[in-house]
Amino acid sequence: MSSAAVNTAKTNAMTNASNAFLRLNDIAIMRGQRLIQQGLTHDMKAAGITLITGPNGSGKSSLLRAIAGRLAPAQGSIECNVPILYIGHQDGLSPALNGRQNLQSWANLNGYAATDGEIERAIDALNASNFADLPVRVLSRGQRRRFALARLCLGPEQALWLLDEPSAGLDIDTTQLLDRVISQHLDKGGMVMAATHLPLAPKTRPAILALDDINGATA
Amino acid sequence: MNGFIQQIQRDLKIAWASRLDIGVILLFFVIIVTMFPLAIGPQPDILRPLAVPLLWIAAFLSILAGFDRLFAADLRDGWLDQVALSTLPLFAYVIAKAVAHWLVSALPLLLAVPIVGLLLQVESAVLPSLVIALLIGTAALTLLGVIGASLASGARQAGGLMALLVLPLALPVLIFGVLASQPEAGMLLSPHLKLLAAVLLVLLAIAPPVAAAALGEADDDGGA
Repeated sequence: MSSAAVNTAKTNAMTNASNAFLRLNDIAIMRGQRLIQQGLTHDMKAAGITLITGPNGSGKSSLLRAIAGRLAPAQGSIECNVPILYIGHQDGLSPALNGRQNLQSWANLNGYAATDGEIERAIDALNASNFADLPVRVLSRGQRRRFALARLCLGPEQALWLLDEPSAGLDIDTTQLLDRVISQHLDKGGMVMAATHLPLAPKTRPAILALDDINGATA
Repeated sequence: MNGFIQQIQRDLKIAWASRLDIGVILLFFVIIVTMFPLAIGPQPDILRPLAVPLLWIAAFLSILAGFDRLFAADLRDGWLDQVALSTLPLFAYVIAKAVAHWLVSALPLLLAVPIVGLLLQVESAVLPSLVIALLIGTAALTLLGVIGASLASGARQAGGLMALLVLPLALPVLIFGVLASQPEAGMLLSPHLKLLAAVLLVLLAIAPPVAAAALGEADDDGGA
């Protein structure tokens, strides 16, 4: 980053990540032998949020996995110049460890120097401190989800967040906490792409990427 | 490198939190070894020549029993997705898993060998070379298990499939291992031990990239 860009960043947080982008160029996605999406093109810039909508089986999760690099697109290219945080269907938590240990080991793996204080803040951001010392095994679906989402607060500021049904299992209060975490991330110049059936962070006026079930026409 | 150590620490923490499961492997080993004197009879002159091969087979079977857990939990919990997105390369993750798995499942067996060896009338002069050979042999077997577990990670009956995949490939380890455990007098580093170490080095080169490639493809657990 040039010194001029650094100066701009100091004056305006929004332009801080003005060069962050995600570009999907003419993507086609296969699952097994089935083509489930083709010709997808989408651009995102810093502070952008996109909600992926569409019926079950239209490839929302697969698109997120493709962007995360866990599923090779059958065609097209995906470009992104910032770190990616992915919260999938599975929470990525070990049932044997407690929530705090899970967050710590994730931060350590990624080399995000997470002090105890930062971990506590992440846990508090999703109101999960009451059960942070219990093994994840005994937690409910929504409680686990909070620890999965708390990872978002530990990652780098200008990351692209890929969220797969992030509010699944969350109660109304926690959904609002999640909305707040998302808007704070956008304010800092981050990007968010979420597959969801529920309204998510409505105040941020998200762009909608609507997927059709291309195999569903005959059904 | 840091992520590598962190991954090992995480696995050791998980192993400690579910240490009863680990104890089962050790208990399994002890029970197998105990069954032989009961079945064959306690005569030292019959047991003694069989002791080393029996210990090897018992060690193999009990270590094999833990393989299906190697990657299954990380896949199921979605941890593998998080690793794939981190700076830790998949092959380094695989080596970290192998190291942690060896520490958790094989090391306790090695420590138990001098004690359960008494049941089989193992001569104390053989013990050092037996433990060294088992150390190298179990490490090689763990790397074979890493290949098997990664290839079987999408399969439903992973346990049985894994035994079929791994056991035939483990035969050289068993053969060299048993020979290396009973060297001629005064030879701690027998030629067989060197061959066994060579097998370990070959596996060390092959297993991580193979398993990393298999895990990189095994992404069909993500749901629709």
